[in-house]
Amino acid sequence: MIELKDIHVTFNKGTPLETRALRGIDLHVPKSQFLTVIGSNGAGKSTALNVMAGIAPVEQGHLRVGQSDMTDWPVHKRAHAISRVFQDPKMGTCEDLTILENFALAYGRTKPRGFRFAVDPAIRASVADRLSVLKLGLEDRLGDKVGLLSGGQRQAVSLLMATTGDTQVLLLDEHTAALDPKTADFVLQITNSIVKELDLTAVMVTHSMAQALHTGDRTIMFHQGRIIFDVAGEQRDTMQVEDLLHLFKREQGEELADDSLLLG
Amino acid sequence: MSLYEILGTLETGFVFGLVALGAYLTFKILDFPDLTVEGSFPLGAAVCAALIVQGGWNPWAATAMAAVIGFGAGYGTAYLNVRFNILHILAGILMAISLYSINLRIMNGPNEPLLNVTTVFSAFEDLGYPGYMINPVFLGFVVIGVKLALDAFLATGWGMSMRAAGANPAMAEANGINVGNMKLYGVGLANALTALAGALFAQIFGAADAYMGIGVIIVGLASVIVGMSILPSRTIFLATIACILGAVLYRLAVALALNADFLGLRASDVQLVTAVLVALALIAQQSGSSLFKIFKKGRGK
Repeated sequence: MIELKDIHVTFNKGTPLETRALRGIDLHVPKSQFLTVIGSNGAGKSTALNVMAGIAPVEQGHLRVGQSDMTDWPVHKRAHAISRVFQDPKMGTCEDLTILENFALAYGRTKPRGFRFAVDPAIRASVADRLSVLKLGLEDRLGDKVGLLSGGQRQAVSLLMATTGDTQVLLLDEHTAALDPKTADFVLQITNSIVKELDLTAVMVTHSMAQALHTGDRTIMFHQGRIIFDVAGEQRDTMQVEDLLHLFKREQGEELADDSLLLG
Repeated sequence: MSLYEILGTLETGFVFGLVALGAYLTFKILDFPDLTVEGSFPLGAAVCAALIVQGGWNPWAATAMAAVIGFGAGYGTAYLNVRFNILHILAGILMAISLYSINLRIMNGPNEPLLNVTTVFSAFEDLGYPGYMINPVFLGFVVIGVKLALDAFLATGWGMSMRAAGANPAMAEANGINVGNMKLYGVGLANALTALAGALFAQIFGAADAYMGIGVIIVGLASVIVGMSILPSRTIFLATIACILGAVLYRLAVALALNADFLGLRASDVQLVTAVLVALALIAQQSGSSLFKIFKKGRGK
């Protein structure tokens, strides 16, 4: 479960560059829900995700995950409950470390790290087991440095890394945007199956309306720092991209002026 | 070069191997260019010498204490950076210049001779071999031991976290690693190694001196660069070997340059020779080919 209560975020406060990125966001994502988030550039969708991840400074409001108020928790502390897949495939993994070592790091997210060796046979077996699901042959390349993998492979590895241990919330920050369409589909597919299999609460920010509607079970749209609509259930199941545009026009009284949302 | 000179070069080479391992930890693993070592090297020497001479400590305990105090110096530098956001290089310079004054206080003067006192090297005097032969062997064991311990540490959960914190801080944080803490302990550890080197250096040469830290950072870095450009360092195990090898080769290169009569160099030219060697190594690294090829290319133009 993740809950945002009246969250305000302002960048460069008190300077000519002052930007009110979020203007009072209320959002409740119940356990096991897969929420997709869309919005044009600067609408606040990434900022909202960053508030959950602990990167954006919260000016006002509260963030709750499970039973804890995490508003002021540093990133590394909330990592026990919240994991994240970055947009840039290079960000989610450590390229100087081997695949196995990366997973060893990820296992340390929910379990204490110590002075024991990070890689042991048990971890090796469980990593190979999880990687074999991808059918990319990565289970035979555990000793390879992650820097040798392609963007799609790295993103798939990041996704598996982000879902080790008992993660409560999975944050996906346009995690397919930097991939070619075929690879993006593949990564999206495994995202869906992992979220379902592990019964995760997930929040996915995306640039593509079609992807937002066809993935997960609820969609919200950000515009100028506010959530302007929130669809789920039957209404969403039958919705097409055009319906979304109509909805946007009705809510805002203007046409959506960002082509990338339509083309994505 | 005589055998005596070669063994002497090995001796200092191994001592600076410790400095190189520290430089590897900060520059390569943590991506934290740490200049504290200019101060923590003489700090280790000063603490060790003062404890032996003024405090009457056992030399082994004094040497260990020097390493502990060195850890504190590095921790202090990283603290300035992590807690107060002072630029890492500046934090290191601040710590190094303050250590200069602190070292003068510790020694009650600009130097502290270690003559006619028991040092860690005294333990080997009864073995029947002259010191110039036995000391390099002992120091070789020390530096290899430290290297293996460092390799093992970097393979533990903590060590792995430190590597991630340096290589990809955002990813490290997202995986629950306290990046700030990793810097504090990593830079501390590097300076503990440097202070240990300083303590051993003072005991070999019979004195601690407030000025002995000048250029240490370059020597450490030069050793890492020279070593890595000679030995491909795909794994930590190889990289740490490269650091020690680099330190020995670097000392050898300096000794040869100073020894070559036709160059007409004096002992006081050592810093100039150092700077030139490092510049050459860096140029070689930049262009990704050996020095020989660069000069050949230059001639062809």
